[in-house]
Amino acid sequence: MRFRFCGDLDCPDWVLAEISTLAKVSSVKIKLLCVQVLRDLLGDGIDYEKITKLTADAKFEPSDVKATVAVLNFILASAAKYGVNGESLSSELQQLGLPKEHAAALCKSYEDKQTALQDKLKESSLRLNRLGSVSWRVDYTLSSSELKEVNEPVVHLKLNVQNVDTGALEPTVALVSAVKFRVLLTELKQAQALMNALN
Amino acid sequence: ERERGGSGVRERERGGSGVRERERGGSGGGPCAEARAGAKMLLVLAEEHKEHLGFLTRVDAAVVGEFCRIAVEFLKKGSNPKIFEGAARKLNVNTETVQNGVEGLMYLMTESSKMMISEVDFQDSVLVLGFSEDLNKLLLQLYLDNRREIRQILSELAPDLPHYHNLEWRLDVQLASRALKQQIKPLLTLKLHLEQNGRRNASVFQTDPATLLHLIRKLEQALNEMKTNHCRRIVRNIK
Repeated sequence: MRFRFCGDLDCPDWVLAEISTLAKVSSVKIKLLCVQVLRDLLGDGIDYEKITKLTADAKFEPSDVKATVAVLNFILASAAKYGVNGESLSSELQQLGLPKEHAAALCKSYEDKQTALQDKLKESSLRLNRLGSVSWRVDYTLSSSELKEVNEPVVHLKLNVQNVDTGALEPTVALVSAVKFRVLLTELKQAQALMNALN
Repeated sequence: ERERGGSGVRERERGGSGVRERERGGSGGGPCAEARAGAKMLLVLAEEHKEHLGFLTRVDAAVVGEFCRIAVEFLKKGSNPKIFEGAARKLNVNTETVQNGVEGLMYLMTESSKMMISEVDFQDSVLVLGFSEDLNKLLLQLYLDNRREIRQILSELAPDLPHYHNLEWRLDVQLASRALKQQIKPLLTLKLHLEQNGRRNASVFQTDPATLLHLIRKLEQALNEMKTNHCRRIVRNIK
């Protein structure tokens, strides 16, 4: 069976198995559990103690608690990834055997945070090193060891590249003559025009 | 786990005089163990090893029990030489004697666990040492209780090659470059995260869709190899 929230593929077996574990918790608790899992997905960290407290009533073993968090994490992240709306998600989860109230509670939490979740996922998409900042300085060369009167402007350009793995800023410095700089500027303006046309 | 006793697989192992490197404990300077298989697999212990273990007969049962416990602790967590000194002082013997005794025990355990020898074979191997009935029983119990965990530790000592940790990907379309405007060139950027010995590094690749499809086809072919009769026969015989 193909599910939209799984990207039009089969639902993984382990998710199927853990749906029944989810059903053991009350639907109110499901909503609160979703809030915690969503906080983790949005990068705010997860309060594991709260989760253990919420699942205490259902007498979950530690492995059950972890399974619940994992399956909620998968459902919410996958639904946001494939852009599924709350209603479709609810009906698909019910097809998998999740009771109606549970599905409704889960999807309500999902809908509240869907946009935020998708933005966060967009941010964490693969990026290579990115430009942190640019600084420049224009100098005027008066004279040099080769020629007595040079009288030329020159640009010092410093590009700070942020390494995506270490997060450190790596500077690259270049000296650009007036002519070269004009070429650079023209080309970059062309690229900018193309980007604006697409936006 | 492989039960080699009785399957007719021959295995010979020569320790030689070279030092066997082990990260967690083990006797230095190599008393060697030779395992001969066939119907029975016996541990043949070197003279030096027997001497070291002989120390156990000269102390009482409680001490032997303590040494056994220490030996297993050291196998799990690494050895602590200070314990040898403390014990030596209490027993009024050489530190070296205590160390040899404990390390002899550790080596006996690792060799037995490594070969996964049966109870009977273990008892026969230990008989050679001339220990009391109780001591033999104690050693057997120690072996049976701990062999699974020891095997797990030994499996972690195998060399570690870089292995898969994570894969990120991104699909882009190149629309223009400085040299050529008005293009449509789909590109797939992949970042493969690998892990080796606890250290991570990542490699970035770029490919076009045709190469990607080729890559996928090759990997699927590799997976399908597992379903051929040849592989199935081998997997069945390993179990």
